[in-house]
Order: sequence, then C-alpha cells, then structure tokens
Amino acid sequence: MFLAALQGVSELFPISSLGHTVLIPALLHWKIARESPQFLSFVVALHLGTALALVVFYRTTWKGIITAFVRSVVRGRFDGTSDEKTAWLLIAGTIPVALLGVYFESTVRSLFASPLPVSLFLVANGAIMFLGERLRRAQHAGRGKGYRVLEEISWLDGALIGLSQGLALLPGISRSGTSIVAGLLADLDHESAARFSFLLATPVILAASVVEVPLLFTPSGSAILTEALAGGALSGIVAYASVAFLTKYFESNDLRPFGWYCLVVGAVCAVLFATKVIA
Amino acid sequence: MKILAIVLAVAFFTVAVLYWVGLFGGVHVKHGILFAGLGVLALIWLRFQSAAPTRAR
Repeated sequence: MFLAALQGVSELFPISSLGHTVLIPALLHWKIARESPQFLSFVVALHLGTALALVVFYRTTWKGIITAFVRSVVRGRFDGTSDEKTAWLLIAGTIPVALLGVYFESTVRSLFASPLPVSLFLVANGAIMFLGERLRRAQHAGRGKGYRVLEEISWLDGALIGLSQGLALLPGISRSGTSIVAGLLADLDHESAARFSFLLATPVILAASVVEVPLLFTPSGSAILTEALAGGALSGIVAYASVAFLTKYFESNDLRPFGWYCLVVGAVCAVLFATKVIA
Repeated sequence: MKILAIVLAVAFFTVAVLYWVGLFGGVHVKHGILFAGLGVLALIWLRFQSAAPTRAR
C-alpha cells in the first residue's frame, strides 16, 4: 500500500516515480524481486490506477480532444480549433517517446536501476528544473510579450516536449519534470506546461499498462489480484489528489521547490550509497 | 504524397504483423502496437490528402 501511494504521488510530481521505487526500498532494506511476475502484476495495476485517475480528472478535456480528433479525421482536414490542435500536439508528442520507450526502456533501466546512479540522476533532475526555470526567464525576458497558450506552440515544439520525456527512461529523471521544463522553454506558462505534461502522460501510461493487463490474470498475477486491485485503487486516488493539487499549484508557483527536493534527497542518497553507509 | 502515405501505411502494418508473429527475435506486442499506430496515422495522412479541398474561410 505504501508503494501504491508512493506511485500515485511520484508519478505526477516532478520527482521521478521510478527513482523513488528504487531508492526507498534500498534505504529501508526492503527486498523486492523486481522481475518476479507478482511484482510486475502489482506495478501494472498501480500504473493502470494512475492512468485512470488522469483520464477521470481530465475527462471533459479528453472528451473534447477525442471528439475534435475524430471530426478532423472524418472531414479530412484540419480546422485549427483549440481541441483539434491539442489532439495533434499530443500525437506529435507521443510518437517520439513511444519509439524511445519501446526500443530502449528495458535496456536503459536495467543498466541504471541501482541506488547510486539513481541518486545521481535525481540530482540531475533537480538541476534540470533549476536550469529550465532560469533559461525560461532569460528567454522570455527577450520576447517582451505574454506567455503562449498551448494551441500557439508549433508541431515541432509538441514533438520536442514529447521527446524530452525520453530522458525519464533514466531512473531518477522525472517524466513530468522534463516535459514541464520543455513546455516552459516553448514559452508556455507553468499551468499550461503542466497540463500538457499530464495530458501527454495519459496515453503512454494507459497504453503501457493496458498491454500488460493480461499479467494480472496469469496464475502468479491472480495470486495477488486482491492486493493489486487495492494498490491500483489507492494509487488512482492518490494520483487524482496529486494532479488536482499540482494543477492548482502551478497556477502561481514554479518548479524550484521540487528542484530543491531532488537536489537534497539525491545528494544525501548519493553520499549514503557511495560511502556504503547504506549497503 | 498519396503514394508515400500508402507505402508508409503498408510498411508500418507489415512491420507490426512481423513483430506480432515473432519474426523479429520473439513476439513483441508493444512494438507491434506502436507500428500499427503509425500505420493508422499514415492512413489518416492519406485521408487528409484525399479529402476534397475546401474554400478558404
């Protein structure tokens, strides 16, 4: 249940869910067989819970986006409405990260999913957020006009924001963190960048977990089905609360508190693991 | 460009099927879904090119 709540929070907060699921068990000396079918089934349920929470939270937005997309395909033309543009920006952003994820996810994660590299990547994640905020302020100061809204960014911007999520294949780097920073560098305000990041996350998390749902109904998955469903439900509830909090938070705040958190926690963990205080 | 869209659609769907039947070193469901998705996008691109042009608003 702790892991479920942790997943719900850290998947959406820009602090790296994968990094935390490596670091916290290592700090607490939990022995988790990450490759066991039971654990994988449990993780699938947690991701499914998170994805469904995002769908429910943005249900009205998704309804508009899907309707506009279908209408655009049926008509065979792009009319440039706000929902239509968002739909195509989401597609432009999802293709690069889907390609990266499918081809490199398991290789990259197996190389780096141990506590010391994860701690260092968490420090890097904090640095990315500070650097992103700084670059964005410098870049925007030169423009001398208001921030752009989502529909005003280009397809290339959309694709680059999607591509930035690829950095999160490295455990310790946050998917939402990198995509929010990329959104800020495309001159979006924090609220729009976070909204686009959460919308962008939904199809990827949902598709990745739906594909693995059959795992829940294998003999090893069925053995922990109750725990998996309870974990998925808790993860979903916590994720819903997290996205509600973050959308409100980013109306008037920036990424720096999360940057500080990642820098401090990452640095402390790096020292603990490098000096073998915690083996 | 219509020809390119058709060629891409056929190529993507073929690769998807090859992943699903396991011709690329085992069955890869996710890879297959990804390429099927790209195939659908190629068909949508074809649809956009085939639709009757409309007068500028």
